[in-house]
Amino acid sequence: MNIAPLLLYVAASIAYGWHFMKRSSRGGRTATSFLVAATLVHTFIIGMQTTEIGHLPLVGTTGALSVFVWLSSIAYLYTETTSNERSMGVFIAPLLVALQVIPTVSRYEVAVRPPVLESPWFVLHISSLLFAYASFAIACVIGITYMLLFKELKAKHVGFFYNRLPSLQILDVMNMRAITIGWLLLTIGVAVGGVWALQAQAEFDDPRVQAMSVLDPKIFIALLCWVVYSFELYARRSVGRTGWRAARFSIIGFAIVLLNFLPVGYFLTRTHNF
Amino acid sequence: MSQLFLLGINHDTAPVDLRERLNFSEGDLSETLVALSTRPGCGEAVVLSTCNRVELYVRCDDLGEARTELTRFLSDFHGVDPAALAPHLYSLASSEAAQHLFRVAAGLDSLVIGEPQILGQVKEAYTTASENGCTGSLLNKLFHCSFAAGKRVRSETELGEGAVSISYAAVALARKIFGNLADHDVLLVGAGEMSELTAVHLKAQQVSRIVVINRTAAQAENLAKKIGGEAIPWTEMQQVLATTDVVVTATGSPAPIITSSQVEAVMRTRRNRPLFIMDIAVPRDVEASAGTIEQVFLYNIDDLQGIVSENLARRSAQITKAEVIVAEEVNGFMTWLRSRRAVPTLVALRQRFEVIRQAELKRLEQKLASLAPADRARVEDVTRLIVEKLLSTPTERLKELSNAETVRMYGDALNQLFDLESSQVPSEQPDDQVVASPKSSVQKTSVPS
Repeated sequence: MNIAPLLLYVAASIAYGWHFMKRSSRGGRTATSFLVAATLVHTFIIGMQTTEIGHLPLVGTTGALSVFVWLSSIAYLYTETTSNERSMGVFIAPLLVALQVIPTVSRYEVAVRPPVLESPWFVLHISSLLFAYASFAIACVIGITYMLLFKELKAKHVGFFYNRLPSLQILDVMNMRAITIGWLLLTIGVAVGGVWALQAQAEFDDPRVQAMSVLDPKIFIALLCWVVYSFELYARRSVGRTGWRAARFSIIGFAIVLLNFLPVGYFLTRTHNF
Repeated sequence: MSQLFLLGINHDTAPVDLRERLNFSEGDLSETLVALSTRPGCGEAVVLSTCNRVELYVRCDDLGEARTELTRFLSDFHGVDPAALAPHLYSLASSEAAQHLFRVAAGLDSLVIGEPQILGQVKEAYTTASENGCTGSLLNKLFHCSFAAGKRVRSETELGEGAVSISYAAVALARKIFGNLADHDVLLVGAGEMSELTAVHLKAQQVSRIVVINRTAAQAENLAKKIGGEAIPWTEMQQVLATTDVVVTATGSPAPIITSSQVEAVMRTRRNRPLFIMDIAVPRDVEASAGTIEQVFLYNIDDLQGIVSENLARRSAQITKAEVIVAEEVNGFMTWLRSRRAVPTLVALRQRFEVIRQAELKRLEQKLASLAPADRARVEDVTRLIVEKLLSTPTERLKELSNAETVRMYGDALNQLFDLESSQVPSEQPDDQVVASPKSSVQKTSVPS
């Protein structure tokens, strides 16, 4: 059962690729249908896990990763329907596949949250962070397409991407919107986490909670992310807009997010390993 | 047997002054169509008259006669000497005429291959003819097939894609950078012909403002008035560069008039908003190094020409694919056309059966008289149904025949076997509706004439 969303994400990737290469509108509709199906099946699985344990399966990196893929897919589908632009699918769908492989093959147990996480802050903290990261994933993909089109226009050799992507202006606006939403959610997530950590340190003796500090890799990187995206938003207001810089920032920012998820979440963090 | 015939001239066969003289104005069309379709031996007519072609599509009985008649018609109507007209005319019949129309609708016969307007013009020509009651089953089917061919070529090939003129390529690039051009300003540097042409294209994109700047203020004023922009003194160049997003330079200046450092300075006041500069002047008006500034997109005439040539090459590469589609559609149309050959025989056969049915019913009149009206109606229905069933397979088979000779043989055989000659009613204008078969999908576009 757990493999079903992965297979559907793979099918969506193939269809998006076909749509992008051949510019076939039928391919595009097929791709969207596959992705919608994948998201629905994924919703079902996450729903089952939620009823099983009584809260969203957000405990542990692997569970959170699955929720992250699910949220990214929803965020992407939202972008696609509002902008009526399918060309980004070919970039986002393979990313979803790559990330979804981990929860699919690792056969993880859906973990019930330990007492320390039994707080109203828990769902807010994790879900706003995951949604922020999903927005950054979209921003990253839009940034990549922006750079590809920008390079082509600069090289004056228009053709492949020129014929397949929307205008730089649209990509820039979409990218900015994704970053802004992501930044807001990241701010909420980090702030909630900070307040909650202070509270928990007073209440629980759990060594992990006691050792939690800004120097914890997971927390540190989340803050780093916040700094990167804040800087981009600030630069845009003061220095002026340049889509190229925004694109670069959104790629760097998301690279940091992935870093937080994968190596840090699995290997490095000692205190924040819920 | 009626046939499809086409007589016409186009940009390949006739110079523009002759095309102009033969052009049918909108007011002339109704009169022309009625005159053509009511000529003896000419059943239906559609007139396709655009600036690049004048073509008459008709249904006729005799091809040679139709050619003479239509040539005379054209020369009489427009007062052109027939001898002067003759070498420029082309005439095609049957599948060749169909192929020609399908190629026209697909944009394969256009001056600029794949141009999109022609399909609309073909549709308009057909609608006018049909509104004047000048089309019948043959031209209805022909034109609907041509729309299908045009649509398929458009959606299944890239024949109509990419800008193929410099000014349009420029507009397309601007749109790729800025998206909607509605809230962007345009600056024209130099008041020459090229600036004007590009300005007209940009204007069509509803740009918010067009500013003209020229060393000779009077020329700037003139052009500004012509294209609905505003003229600005040469000295204000730097200020205007800061607010406009699309710049077209086309002056005759021997040295660059916009330097790289000037652009760099302007980018700071622009807060790095993208700037698209088209330098269509030779020698160039903008220093080439300005193109290396991050948000500056600088295209010179060669860059634009390069894009145009690439697009043209891409279009030509699609021609074979488009021709295949046209050939498929022509095949489809010809299959339908051949199925019509059997129509007179089918009509006769059907009438023969109907005569027998009626005769039998009449003979049984007295026996049936005692029946209730509802039962009599049922007898009527049942007998009709039996005749329908008996005829349905032969009807289908006959329509599927593709070889004219076979059709004739079958026709002769049926004539003999059912003694059709004696009961045959002259069927000069076969009405397809009469021979409705269970598989009548091919006739869905036919209208009784």
